[in-house]
Amino acid sequence: MKEYDGRVRLVFKDLPLPSHALARPAAEAARCAGSLGRYWPYHDKLFAAQPNFERADLIRYATDLALPREAFERCLDSRRFAAAVEADLAQARALGVRSTPTFFINGRPFVGAQPIENFRSVIDDALRGPR
Amino acid sequence: MWSVWLVALLAGVVSGVGAQTAPAIDADPSMVKGPPTAPVTIVEFSDYQ
Repeated sequence: MKEYDGRVRLVFKDLPLPSHALARPAAEAARCAGSLGRYWPYHDKLFAAQPNFERADLIRYATDLALPREAFERCLDSRRFAAAVEADLAQARALGVRSTPTFFINGRPFVGAQPIENFRSVIDDALRGPR
Repeated sequence: MWSVWLVALLAGVVSGVGAQTAPAIDADPSMVKGPPTAPVTIVEFSDYQ
């Protein structure tokens, strides 16, 4: 991301896989953090902490980031963002996305955690514009 | 309630890989990094586990 500063925009979409039982609460928790203004720091924390996503863990990560505990708990327990996560899942289905991670780089599908050089090559291609 | 704005992120899909009906991808503003003017948009579908 850094080397493409200003030239690349990243949009994260939730695709909690059914085989990952705690992925969905984690996705909802990240959105709760987002509603409190700290989406990306919480997102990074989750990736560093995987797969420890029990409720107590999710709350601890929030308080580690100095998020207001009560507001975060209320958001998490009310499943405020369940529908939003579900909407992302529906979009993934509509796009034929079946595995994580799947990327669309200016609309071009790019599946799996591939080597950084492959990423660079597709991004550089996109930066050169449509053919 | 947070606001969600629709972006025609996947306009490229239509011309790029021949998808006939590219669904519009909506983005939660808090889940976006980088300027809206960036020439390249990467949409990442992922989970945390």
